[in-house]
Amino acid sequence: MIHDPQYIGWFCTYTPIEIIEAAGFIPYGIKEDSGAIHEDVYLGDSICPYVRICLGGALTGTYDFLYGVVISHSCECMRRLYDAWDYKQNEIAPQCLYFLDIPKKVDERSVAYFAMQLKNFKERLEQMSGAPCDEELPEVIREYNKTRLFFHKLFELMKSENPPLSGTHINALIQECMKSNRTIFNKKLGTILESLDNAEGYKGPRIMVYSAPGNPDVIAAIEEAGGVVVYNNSCSAYRFIGNPVDENGDPLFALARSYLEKTPCPRMLGTIAKTGLYNLKSIINDYRIDGVIYYSIKFCANLHLTAGIIKNEHDFGVPIKIIEGDISSEIDRREIYTFIKSLMTRKTTMTA
Amino acid sequence: MKIEYISRIQDENVKLRKQQFASFISQYGIQHNEASKYIESLFSKPLEKLTASQRRGRLLSELFIKSYNTMPDGSFKYHVVAWRSLFFPTEILYAMDIIPFTPEMTASQLAMSGIQIERVETAEQHNFSQDLCSFMRTAIGASIENMFPAPDIIVSSSHICDPSAKFGEYASIKYNRPEFILDVPYNIFGCSNPALKEEAIQYVTHQLKEMVQFLKENTGNDFDLEKFKECLQYSNEARKWLLRGNELIHSSNPSAYIGIKDLDYAANLMHTWGTKEIIDVYRLRYEEYLKSEPASEDKYRPPIHWYHLRPYYKNKLLQYIEERFRIVGSMVNYMYWSEMDISNPFRALAIKTLLHPAYCPVLLRAQITRSIICSGEGVIAYYPKSCRHFHSSARIESEYFRNACIPYLVIDGDCIDNRGDDFAVVQTRVDRFHKELLQQSKGKIA
Repeated sequence: MIHDPQYIGWFCTYTPIEIIEAAGFIPYGIKEDSGAIHEDVYLGDSICPYVRICLGGALTGTYDFLYGVVISHSCECMRRLYDAWDYKQNEIAPQCLYFLDIPKKVDERSVAYFAMQLKNFKERLEQMSGAPCDEELPEVIREYNKTRLFFHKLFELMKSENPPLSGTHINALIQECMKSNRTIFNKKLGTILESLDNAEGYKGPRIMVYSAPGNPDVIAAIEEAGGVVVYNNSCSAYRFIGNPVDENGDPLFALARSYLEKTPCPRMLGTIAKTGLYNLKSIINDYRIDGVIYYSIKFCANLHLTAGIIKNEHDFGVPIKIIEGDISSEIDRREIYTFIKSLMTRKTTMTA
Repeated sequence: MKIEYISRIQDENVKLRKQQFASFISQYGIQHNEASKYIESLFSKPLEKLTASQRRGRLLSELFIKSYNTMPDGSFKYHVVAWRSLFFPTEILYAMDIIPFTPEMTASQLAMSGIQIERVETAEQHNFSQDLCSFMRTAIGASIENMFPAPDIIVSSSHICDPSAKFGEYASIKYNRPEFILDVPYNIFGCSNPALKEEAIQYVTHQLKEMVQFLKENTGNDFDLEKFKECLQYSNEARKWLLRGNELIHSSNPSAYIGIKDLDYAANLMHTWGTKEIIDVYRLRYEEYLKSEPASEDKYRPPIHWYHLRPYYKNKLLQYIEERFRIVGSMVNYMYWSEMDISNPFRALAIKTLLHPAYCPVLLRAQITRSIICSGEGVIAYYPKSCRHFHSSARIESEYFRNACIPYLVIDGDCIDNRGDDFAVVQTRVDRFHKELLQQSKGKIA
């Protein structure tokens, strides 16, 4: 049995972290700001900057406190992170414990296949912890569902005329959630929700951010320019929260389904990917979004292609600004400022 | 079966492909009313007078013009066309009389003709990032310019190349055509756990069976199991000749062999697996090499293995390489799969699709090269920066090969987009590498 708190790092939001927690470890989300100051080009200068910072962080000791990491097969760049981590293992403290393959399409067969992969993952974690986690898993799923419920209530509040929280606040809460004990975090989130009844609202053009792992500066820049991020369609935000997991069925199967069926990351293919794009229209309507900032992370083929699809093949009825950028570099604030200003003008004109 | 739907799509495609063919040949300065001359020029020479490489070209041309509903004799015949991602298996398609169309391969054809950059720029003007794979940008540009034959269906596999699969989504939305996704688990080639391997094989086998149903429903074409087995048998037969040719190149350096030219067979990417004609191509390739005398020992042209593809645009690099090195092996023609068991056809095709060594960790891929490489041979990797999958492998490979005392050179380039081509810079690096290999062989003699 493990005794000390042991952190296991994870990267992709398609990793069902409930299993990590049920096995007695603490899941720790390695996000876009984690190893930012140690960006490394071991995998070349044209690979995804998120992978570059993750590897840089690993090689320079940022994650030494971790017991190990699970790397998911999100995309072609993430599988190279696994290769490099594995190859450089003698220079990296946390062990690369597991490579989790994730289907790219959603149907009954892919859900079943993913459930089998999760079973193997669970068994590997149980081997390490020395104890089965079948009893704990349903309880952990319930606790994580509670987080989802709270966040969905928060997201609902963002539909209001003047949302009680800014996008920056919500983003900070999600970042905290990725690294915290869920029971403690849920109490905090519940209290925040209760306190929002009479909160003063935020005004300004209502923005959707669309990205993969994003640049945290984007949200700050939008809100500094007078906009409010009411919907953050990114892996480090709403996609991380995902859908409630069915608490009555087989837990691994339920996790597999819930994770694969969530709002899709551009990595996904087929019906789920297309539905995800068509659904943007209803999200734009429901959240009364004035404009979309599509932050296309450099060298992410899936994001770049989706940007082209959105611009050429969809009409969402609102302006879409595509900004290509890095994950940790400074962003061009003037570009965002101009876009928000144009939305303000557009809104005034349309109201008049 | 959705008869009305299929009939509507085919009517639409008849009109579209006519315009698209006119648009395509106009890039070569050929007017629509001169199309028959263009087609005749492709097929003027009798088949028996063609070399292996020319026969390969003939087969590809035939498939290409058929996808525009045009037969080699210029007559009209409707063909069901499936746009496929680069690594999607083709045997089931041929078994169902469906013509595969590979946008990347057409992109390389455009580059060889020097008409790719306009397409690339069209894509970039339409918000497709310059960071994207240039094969894809060319294909997207050509689609926007209405140059490619409209598909009946799209079939994409999730393995190896992300943009290739994602492009399928774009095409499916743009043309409003159904898309089938073959989800392929990673690293089964290197998997030592039999249970995991079996899970993956079954997963892909079932999907291939589902695909048959998808194809039947969306094209109206029938599936005949015996024909499918026949197509697999063609692949097995072609495999045998390809392998023999490869062995001959590596062992005896035939004088008929031109290394760079041989890369154009690019067997592992081609949509010709499952055709009867491809057997003939690989058999003739082998026979050409067999008949030719071994090239005289050329101590100034050390042997190398070529990784990935080549630049398809007009360039100085390839001839420069050819003059200095003998390519004795290539990734694109490396035969990685064992003969398929025809008695279990879906499973056999699933195994062939899954066990792709390019779809496994870099180290494993490098180990395969090491296992076949002989003393004194080096590796040149031509990696486009826009290909994350291969370009990101360079440092690991470099360290691994250095430790194994195998000289290794990475050339950062592009296969399609020549706007950043800088031969002078690459030339210096090629020279240094050449010298290193020569010194190594001198050391060996000493």
